[in-house]
Amino acid sequence: MTKEERLKKRHQAEKRFRFYGLTSIFVALLFVVILVQNIFSKGSSAFKKTVITTEIFFDQELLEIQNGASQDEIMEADFYDVMIENLIKAYPAKDRDEEDELLKLFSGEAEIEIKKAFLKDNNLIGKTITLDLTASDDIDQLHKGNYPRDLPEERRRISNFQLIIYDYFVEKKKISKNFNNYFFTNGDSRDPEIAGIGGALVGSFYSILICLLLAFPIAVLASIYLEEFAPKNKITDFIEININNLAAVPSIVYGLLALQILLATIQLPRSTPLVAGITLALMTLPRIIIPCRASLKAVPPSIREGALAVGASKFQSVFHHVVPLALPGTLSGTIIGLAQALGETAPLILIGMVAFVVDIPSSPVDPSSSLPVQVYLWSESAERGFVEKTSATIMMLLTFLIVMNFVAVYLRQKFEKRWN
Amino acid sequence: MSNIKIKSKNLDVFYGDKQALFDVNLDLNEKEVTALIGPSGCGKSTFIRCINRMNDVIDICKVTGNIEMDGMNINDKNLDVVALREKVGMVFQKPNPFPKSIYDNISYGPKIHGKGETKSELDEIVENSLRKSALWEEVKDRLDEPGTSLSGGQQQRLCIARAISVNPEVILMDEPCSALDPIATAKIEELIDELKKTYTIVIVTHSMAQAVRVSQKTGFFHLGKLIEVGKTEKIFKNPDNKMTQDYITGRFG
Amino acid sequence: MSNEHTVKSYEEELQFLKDSLIKMGSLTESQLSDAMDAVIKVDKDSIDKIIKSDEEINKFRSKIDTQIMNLLVKRAPMAIDLRETISSLKISQDLERIGDLSKSNAKKVKPLPLDLPDELIGNLKRLGELVMKQLKDVLDSYVNKNFDKAKEVWEKDEQVDDLTYIAMESVIDFLSKDKKNLDFSTHLIFATKNLERAGDHITNIAETVCYLVKGEYLKGNRPKGKVIQE
Repeated sequence: MTKEERLKKRHQAEKRFRFYGLTSIFVALLFVVILVQNIFSKGSSAFKKTVITTEIFFDQELLEIQNGASQDEIMEADFYDVMIENLIKAYPAKDRDEEDELLKLFSGEAEIEIKKAFLKDNNLIGKTITLDLTASDDIDQLHKGNYPRDLPEERRRISNFQLIIYDYFVEKKKISKNFNNYFFTNGDSRDPEIAGIGGALVGSFYSILICLLLAFPIAVLASIYLEEFAPKNKITDFIEININNLAAVPSIVYGLLALQILLATIQLPRSTPLVAGITLALMTLPRIIIPCRASLKAVPPSIREGALAVGASKFQSVFHHVVPLALPGTLSGTIIGLAQALGETAPLILIGMVAFVVDIPSSPVDPSSSLPVQVYLWSESAERGFVEKTSATIMMLLTFLIVMNFVAVYLRQKFEKRWN
Repeated sequence: MSNIKIKSKNLDVFYGDKQALFDVNLDLNEKEVTALIGPSGCGKSTFIRCINRMNDVIDICKVTGNIEMDGMNINDKNLDVVALREKVGMVFQKPNPFPKSIYDNISYGPKIHGKGETKSELDEIVENSLRKSALWEEVKDRLDEPGTSLSGGQQQRLCIARAISVNPEVILMDEPCSALDPIATAKIEELIDELKKTYTIVIVTHSMAQAVRVSQKTGFFHLGKLIEVGKTEKIFKNPDNKMTQDYITGRFG
Repeated sequence: MSNEHTVKSYEEELQFLKDSLIKMGSLTESQLSDAMDAVIKVDKDSIDKIIKSDEEINKFRSKIDTQIMNLLVKRAPMAIDLRETISSLKISQDLERIGDLSKSNAKKVKPLPLDLPDELIGNLKRLGELVMKQLKDVLDSYVNKNFDKAKEVWEKDEQVDDLTYIAMESVIDFLSKDKKNLDFSTHLIFATKNLERAGDHITNIAETVCYLVKGEYLKGNRPKGKVIQE
C-alpha cells in the first residue's frame, strides 16, 4: 500500500467514525423527541380544566346566615341546597331524572366552590354572582375531545340529554377552559377533574429534604475521613469496595431494608416522607460519596503541601484548602444523586406510599405520596381523565429533574470559576 | 565566622526498606545561602524535607539520626510540627499558590498562627511580605484577584511572599526556578541575594551556574551520600573530590 | 562513570584547544631554535622562513582565541575545564610573544658581521640553549600536567637571568674594545635582552601550568638572578 493509499484509508476511517457518532446522537435525540412529544401531547391538556359559567343566587332562607358572618359560621353553613337550586336553573329539565343528569354535568366540588366564593366576600346574601364552576370529569374529557360522540348512547358515558345541554352551553359560550389550579393544589381524588399532585409534590419535597439533610453531611464527612484521614490499609480498601457496590444495589432492596428495620422494628409511621427520606438517604449515600471522593482525590497534592508548609495542621489543610476545591464536584454529584432519588418508585412503594392519600401532608410524619408513585397509581386507574394527569405529572417530574441538573451544572461552573 | 543554624549528624532516611540518605553530616550557616547539588534522586530534596518535617506526610518514610536547629531536635516525636513550620518555610519547584485571592494567599499563614488579628495588622503583613518579595508594585492594585491569575514568575514570588509572611528563620527552596523563564529566574536570584540578609536559605538546584551565583556554601550529594561540602568558590573552581569535579563539569556517564 | 564529557562535542572542543596549543608550542620551539641558529651562524637566508613561520604562530593564536570565546559562551566551564580554558588563553599569549621575540632576533642577523669573537658567541649560545630547554620543559610539563616540572622551570629562571648577565657583559666588553662595533653590538644587546624576555614569558607559562594543575597560585616572588643595569 502506498503512502497516499494509507492516508486515504485513515481519512475514510475517521469519516466513518464521525458518521457513526452523529447517527447515534441523532437516533438518541429522535427517541427523546418522540418521548417528549408523546408525553407533552397527552399531558398538556391536564393543565386546563373545563368550567361552566353559572349564575349563583345566595338565598338567605336556604343559607340561614347573615351578611358579615364570620368564617366559622360560613364554614358551618350548608351550601348544598343553594348549589342544587342554582344548578337546576342552568337548563330546563322536565323531570327528576333529567335534573339528575343536569346535576351530573357539574363536578362534586361545585358546592365547595360556591362556599369559597362566599368566604371571599361575605356580603353576598341576597345577591347573584357569576361563577366558573368546575365541570364533571366526563364533560371535561368530552370538551377536550377525548370522548367519541358517534357511539350509541348505551356505550357512551354521556346521555343524549346531557349532550344536548352540553351543546347548548357551548353555543351560549357558557363552557370554557380555565387554568387547572386543582392540579397543583389538590391531593389525590377519585374524581379525576379535581385530582392533583399537591400531596405528591409536598410528599416528594419532604422526602427529598430529609434525604438531603441526612445524606449530604454524612456522605461528605465520611468521604473526607476516608480520603484524607483514614490510614490506607485492607480495612479501608474493603470499605471502599463495599461503598462502590452499594451504589449499584437495586433500589428495591433499600425498600425491603426500610420495611424490615424502619417499619417493622423501629415502627416508624408508614407511608410518611420521614421513612421515605431515610430510605432514600441510605440509597443516596454511596452516590454522593463516590463523586465526593473522586473530587477530593482530584485535588493536586501540591495544594496540601503548600498549606502544610505554611504551618497549617492536617485538619486545616483539608478543610480550608482541599474541601473548597472539591466542592464543585461534590455538589454536582449530590444534586444528581438527589435527582435520582426524586424519581425512585420501587422502594417507596414497598414502604407503603401507594396509599390513597387525599390530604396534603403538613409535616414529614403525615402519610403522603410522592411524584413517581403518583404516576404509578394514576396509570393504574380506569378513568380517562387520569391519562392526561399521569402524563402531566411525568412532565412535572422531568422539569424538576432538568432544573436540578442545570442547577448542578451552574453551581459547578460558578465554583470552578471562583477557584480558578 | 557564621553561626551554625541547622546541624545534621548521622542522618539516615528510609522509604520502607530502601535507604535514601546515608549518614549525612551537614551544617547550614545562619543568614547564608547553601546550595545542594547532585544528580536526580540523590537525596537533596529528601534532605531539605527533613528540616521542616515534610517527610512526615509520607507514611513509609523513616528518619533516624540527629538534626537540630538552634539546639532544638527537629526529629523529636513530640515536637510541634506546626510551630516548626512557622520557623521553617518552604518554596516548591512548581509554584503552588492557593486558589484564593492574592491577599488571602499571604494572610492565611499569619491568620492560622494568630499573628495579625485586626484587618490593619494583616494588611501590614501582606504589604511587607509582598514588598520583600519584590511583588508589591506589580500587584498592589489587584490584591483580591486570584493568585493563579499571575504569571509563573510572579506566582513563585507570591509563594516566597507567603513563606515570608509568617516571619520564618529559615527558607527552604526546592528548585524554585526550574519552571521559570530566564527573566523570572533572574528576579528570584536577585530576591535571594536580598533575603539572605534576613533569613537562612537552603536551595536545591539543578543549575550549576545558579548554585555558583547565589550560594556561599555548596553541598554535593550522590546516591544519598554527601560527597563534598565547602565554600562555593572552592567547589566550583577546584573541588577536592573527583566525583564532584566529574559532576560539575558534565563528565557523569 | 567515565572521564569524558557526556556531551561529545564539549570533549572535542576542549581537545581541539589543547592540540592547537601543543602545535603552537612546537612551532614556537622551532621558531626560537631557528632564530638562535640564524644569530649564531649568522645565516641571513633563513630570515624569510622565520618571518613566515611567525605568521603561522599568529594564526594559531587567533584560532585559539576564537575557540576560547566559544567554550566560554557555550559551555560555562567549571573547575578543571575553567582552568584549562583560561590557561590556554594565557599560554597562547606568552607563546605568541616568544614567537615575536624570536622573529625580532632573526631580523637582527642582517647587519651582523661574520667574524664575531668565540667567547661572545659561546655565551649567547649557552643562554639560547637554556631558554630553548626551558621552553621544551615547560611545554612538556603542560602536556603531562606535571606540577613539579613546571615549578622547576619557574625556579630555573634565576639561571636564565645569570646567563643573560654573563652574555651581556661579553657584548659590552666587545663593544668597548672597538667603537666601530657600536652598530651591531647594539643589535646584540637587544638580541640578548629578547632572550631574557623570552625566558620571562616561559616562566609565566610555568606559573600558569602550576595553577592549572593544582588550582592554586605559586607563592612567593619568582627567583631573580643578577640584573644588568639598563
